[in-house]
Order: sequence, then structure tokens, then C-alpha cells
Amino acid sequence: MDEGLVWQGRHFIYSHIADTTRPPSVDEAAAHFGISTEEASELYKELHNRHALFLNTDEMAIRMANPFSGIPTNFKVHINGKTYFANCAWDMLGIPAALHCDAIIDAICTESNESVEIQIQDGNLRFTNDDLRIHFPLPFTQWYDDLVFT
Amino acid sequence: MLLFRSEEWVDKWCKRNNLERGEMLSIQQVWELSKLWYGNRMSLEYHGRSMEQVADIFKQAGLTAKFWHGQSKQENR
Repeated sequence: MDEGLVWQGRHFIYSHIADTTRPPSVDEAAAHFGISTEEASELYKELHNRHALFLNTDEMAIRMANPFSGIPTNFKVHINGKTYFANCAWDMLGIPAALHCDAIIDAICTESNESVEIQIQDGNLRFTNDDLRIHFPLPFTQWYDDLVFT
Repeated sequence: MLLFRSEEWVDKWCKRNNLERGEMLSIQQVWELSKLWYGNRMSLEYHGRSMEQVADIFKQAGLTAKFWHGQSKQENR
């Protein structure tokens, strides 16, 4: 597959998510690049194989384009009137880091189920609780064994 | 990676799920890591990163424990 198309495809997907908060479908990618649906599917599979995104291959839908989630989660990130979903507690901070924007993060403590709000303003954390912790259950060497669990 | 109100809640979760505790970071630590890890993610020029680059990011973020070291599959988070 053409290397230029691969990375243009990755960039299109990320830009689409930034604009719309959701990943583009294969049909939307095909229309954007003027290629067939089959060719766009191959592009998505290539990006999946390169770990540039994580596909639900049964539906050919983007499940993760880190830090963005393709499905609703308990990690909501509000930026400029849009609401993005993050894959995990790390990625909820990754979204404002990627978009270089202020954010209000609306999340839930995994064990107590209490709501937690975190604000990012001018590149700094605001109004957060110093006791909050993010737990990394697996060492780096095992992160890709089961991405959804990680 | 999951969010907890405090270390106490992490321990409760680990005990309930019969899992060993991994690494716990503060929100400030993960924010600093996020800026290094995701700061160029929207760029057309971002094509993933090498293990050496991953190790350098962890080092810059002050994550020096063995937990953060080692060879993983191709990095592209």
C-alpha cells in the first residue's frame, strides 16, 4: 500500500474525530480519498496492523484511535462545546494534550462510582484533587497483549 | 488505565478483583506524560515512535521504575 496514503489516512481519521468527535466510517474515508470502499477497508486494516488505530474488524469500525474512543465511555472530555470520549483515565488527559485546548473532564471513580471533574486551562491542571490516582495495572511490556483490558 | 479517588480506592478495587497493584500516578504526573506522549498526535508527520523514543518519554516524565521499561510490540499509542 502507498505509504503516503497510509499516513494521509491516519491524519484524515484524527482530523475527522477532532472536528466531529467520532471516527469516520470506511465509506466516509472512501469518499474523502476518492477510492473504493474495499480500498478504504484495506487502508483501515493497514493502519490497524501498524497499531496506528484499533479496529473492531467485524464491523470495520474504529474502536480506538488513541487517545480517542470510538464508543461512549466513562471518560468524557468537553472541549469548545464538543464532547469526546477517551479510552481510559490516561487518555482523558491525552485528548486535551493532543488538541492543545482547555478542557473540562467528567469522569467516574472506578471503585466508588463518584463523579470526578478535572479542568485543564492554559496547559495546566486546575481544580483537581491531589488524592486522585490513575492506576496502570500492567507493565509497559504487556500493554498490547489486550488493549481493551489495558 | 482507571481513575480512582485515592490510593485507598485502588487497593479496594485490586482486592475485589484479586489483582496485584500496578503503578499509581497522580493526575499531575499523567498530565505531564500526556503532553509528551500525545502532543504531536494530530500531526501528519506522526508515524508512531521507536522503543528508544518511548523510553525517552518515560524518562522525561520521571518514570524510571522497571514497570516502564522493556520491549513491547510496535509502539503507536
